[in-house]
Parts: sequence; C-alpha cells; structure tokens
Amino acid sequence: MDYIWQWNQIWDYRQVFVRGAQATLVLTCWALLIGLVLGLVLGLMRSARVAVLRLPAAVYIDIFRATPILVQLVWIYYALPILSGVQMGNVTSAAVGIGLHSAAYFAEIFRAGIASIDKGQSDAAKSLGMGYGQAMRRIILPQAVRRMVPPFINEFATLMKLTTLGSVLAVNELLHEAENLINNTYRPLETYTVVAVLFGVMIYPFIWLSQRLELRWKTRG
Amino acid sequence: MSDAPLIKVNGLRKSFGKLEVLRGISFEVKRGEVLAIIGPSGSGKSTLLRCLNFLEEYQMGEVEFDGALVGYQRGKAGRMKLDSDRNIGRIRARMGMVFQSFNLFPHKTVLENVMEGPLVVQGVPRAEAEGRARTLLARVGLIDKIGAYPARLSGGQQQRAAIARALAMQPAAMLFDEPTSALDPELVGEVLEVMQSLAAEGMTMVVVTHEMGFARQVADRVMMMDHGEIVELAPPAQIFGAPESPRTAEFLRRVLH
Repeated sequence: MDYIWQWNQIWDYRQVFVRGAQATLVLTCWALLIGLVLGLVLGLMRSARVAVLRLPAAVYIDIFRATPILVQLVWIYYALPILSGVQMGNVTSAAVGIGLHSAAYFAEIFRAGIASIDKGQSDAAKSLGMGYGQAMRRIILPQAVRRMVPPFINEFATLMKLTTLGSVLAVNELLHEAENLINNTYRPLETYTVVAVLFGVMIYPFIWLSQRLELRWKTRG
Repeated sequence: MSDAPLIKVNGLRKSFGKLEVLRGISFEVKRGEVLAIIGPSGSGKSTLLRCLNFLEEYQMGEVEFDGALVGYQRGKAGRMKLDSDRNIGRIRARMGMVFQSFNLFPHKTVLENVMEGPLVVQGVPRAEAEGRARTLLARVGLIDKIGAYPARLSGGQQQRAAIARALAMQPAAMLFDEPTSALDPELVGEVLEVMQSLAAEGMTMVVVTHEMGFARQVADRVMMMDHGEIVELAPPAQIFGAPESPRTAEFLRRVLH
C-alpha cells in the first residue's frame, strides 16, 4: 500500500460534510414520515376484512416492490410533472419518491406484525365489548409493534441509505456533496471513507437501540 | 328478575364454506341456569358457543340475548342486516367469555388485564376499576400475582385470571369454551372450583366441556351435540343415568372409560 492518505484537506472542507449530513437527515425525516404514515394506512388496509380496502393496497405494494427505486425517483421527477402538471422541486421529489417506495415495505411490516398476533387476542378483546379500533389500539398494535421493531429498524436503515439516490436528482445530500467535493480536491478515497463513516455513525445507534428493546421485551415476556 | 329466558337460540345455522357445522339449533337458557354442552370434537359445540356472542357470524336463525337480537338488526320485510360494531360490542360486553387458551393480554399485568374491560369499554374511573379487579382477583385466589405478567403464571392461574377479567365487566352470563382442556390434569380442579362457586352464586353459565364430572354435578341441564345438531338436552340425571339417545349413550361410554 503506497497510497498516502491526506486528511488535512478533508478537514478543511468539514463544513461540506456537515451540510451534506444535515440534508441527508432532513431528507430521511421527510421520507420516513411519508413512508410511515402511508405505510400504516396501507398496512391496515391490507389487514382489512373487505376487499375494497385490501385490493388497492395490495396493488400499490406490489407495484412499488416490483420496480427499482431509481426508476421510481426519476419517473416522479421527470415523468409525473408532464402527466400531472405538478412540478415538485428535487428535494421534495426525492422525499416523496423514497417515502412512497418505503411505504410499500413499511406496509408489509405492519401487516405481518398485525397478522402475527394470535387470533385469540382479538377474540378476547371483542368478547369484552371492544370495537375494532379499540382492540387495535389497546391490544393488537402494542403487541404487534414489538415484533415490528427489528424489521422496522432494518427498513429505516435502508431508507437512510436510499437517500443517497437523491444525488441523481442533484439533491445536495451527503453523497452528492461528497462527489462535488471530489471534483475540487481529487481525494475520492478519503472523501468516500468519511461518507461511509458518517452513515455508519448516523445509522448504528438505531440498530443498537433495536437490539436493546428486543432484549428488554424478551425478558418481560 | 323476569322469567323470560336470558339466551334464546332459534333455528341457528352456520356453515364454513360448504361444510355445515350448525344445522338448525334451538334452545333456551334461563336466568341463573348452568347449561353444559358436551359432544365429540367437531360436533359444533365451540362454534355454537361463539355464535352466542357473535365471535362467529351465523347465516340463518336467531340468537337473542335478554330480548335483543345478537349481531343483526331486523330490517324491512324481515331482512336481517348486520348490526353496527358498537351495538354488537354492547351485547358482547354483557356476556363474559373464557377461552380454552386463556387469551390473557401478554403485554399487561394480571391487574391491568382485569381492569382493561371496565376501563376501556365501560369507562369506569381508574380507582373503581382497580377496586373491582382487586376484589375479583382475591376471589379467584390471585391477589399475590397482581403485578405479574401472564407468561409468569401457571395455566390454572392464567385461566383464573381470565375468569376474573370476564367477571370484571359484571356480565349477565358467562360463556366457557373448554376452559380446562389446555390445563395439566393437576390444575383442572382449581379452575373448576371457581366455576362451581360462580354457579352456586346464581350466575347464568353456558359451558362447553369435556369434564363430565362438572357437567353431572354443577349443570342444571346438559346438551349433547353431534354433527351440528342437538342430540339430547336434559337434566344431568337423565343424560348420565338414562340417556334417551343411543348416540349419547355411545359417546358417554367412550369418554367415561
């Protein structure tokens, strides 16, 4: 290994990384919000008794899982405006695109979590006189959420990593900022290393938290 | 207390797809009566019990509880229309149900399990719900397990907690769906004891059971079911002493030996 690492130049540009990380977090938050809310709605629809609710949700989930997210992003940014006349900015497009995409996966997590709860639980809730909403809120979801946490954190980590695709729409998230920086400094190895470390630092705490929660809930039964 | 029957079932039919599991069931349960339902597995006993509080939808006939139709509304021209979630809930709340697999809420303590119904469904103030729960848990012998989660209890303790949970709603009747079938033999007695004391207090009870001793000693009447039909419905003295139907005799011969 003859490569000579030069970190001082990278340090001089540290503001660029901070800016990029901030943009990544903002994009993550918006995409997560869209993904979670829509995902919960779709997940509940998928678990519904009537086909009128179940079918549209199933179609949505299948479409978004069967097409590449890169294509979805580009389509939302370039094709949707032509069809609908609504032109969203690149950041909004990326947030919406990643959000809509993740919603399909979050929906499956919600559905599987709800389905994993023994039918006896809803029987017991109903026999006490609870309605569908009460049984969901008080009995089914609190139990289902615990089973959803590991796959949920998984999907969250995936979502944050997907924000790097925003660079395709010229969103100045961490990766895009880094690429711009490389054009100035010609230090790709250092720059990409910092990007990788920053993502790790942002994502790992959640993985740690999920493991802690899982452990705690396991011991309580 | 009126003399009108509390539960009235008339021409009840229920199918799962092409399989007809209840084929025209009619009977009544008086207030304060204990009815035991026996019969081979697959005879439709559990399904019948679950129709009483509409955990199972039925397709034909009527179930009435305290004069009100369960699960449906009578529409124009006698057409039956599915009742609202709220109305169905209201009727269910007046019938306590105890399940074979207990179905306690695992994320709540024993005390929280018993408080849940009064608190959430009846809107009883927390202090009152807790008082009610403590009284009932003392009664079923679980006052020292109040803070435990269900996973830490034995099967017998879980089932007693489940009975307390159902009683906390101060129901007019109790439905038991094979309440001791999932228990180790040495734990059956403690659950039957609680049920027996309930019966002695005059609680209206419908009990699907394989415990012939309980049916014989505690029940006022015993219903023998087979293939989705009532084979025989009579006091235990007749069922166990001189059954009219050969099918009853044959069934009892098999389970009592």
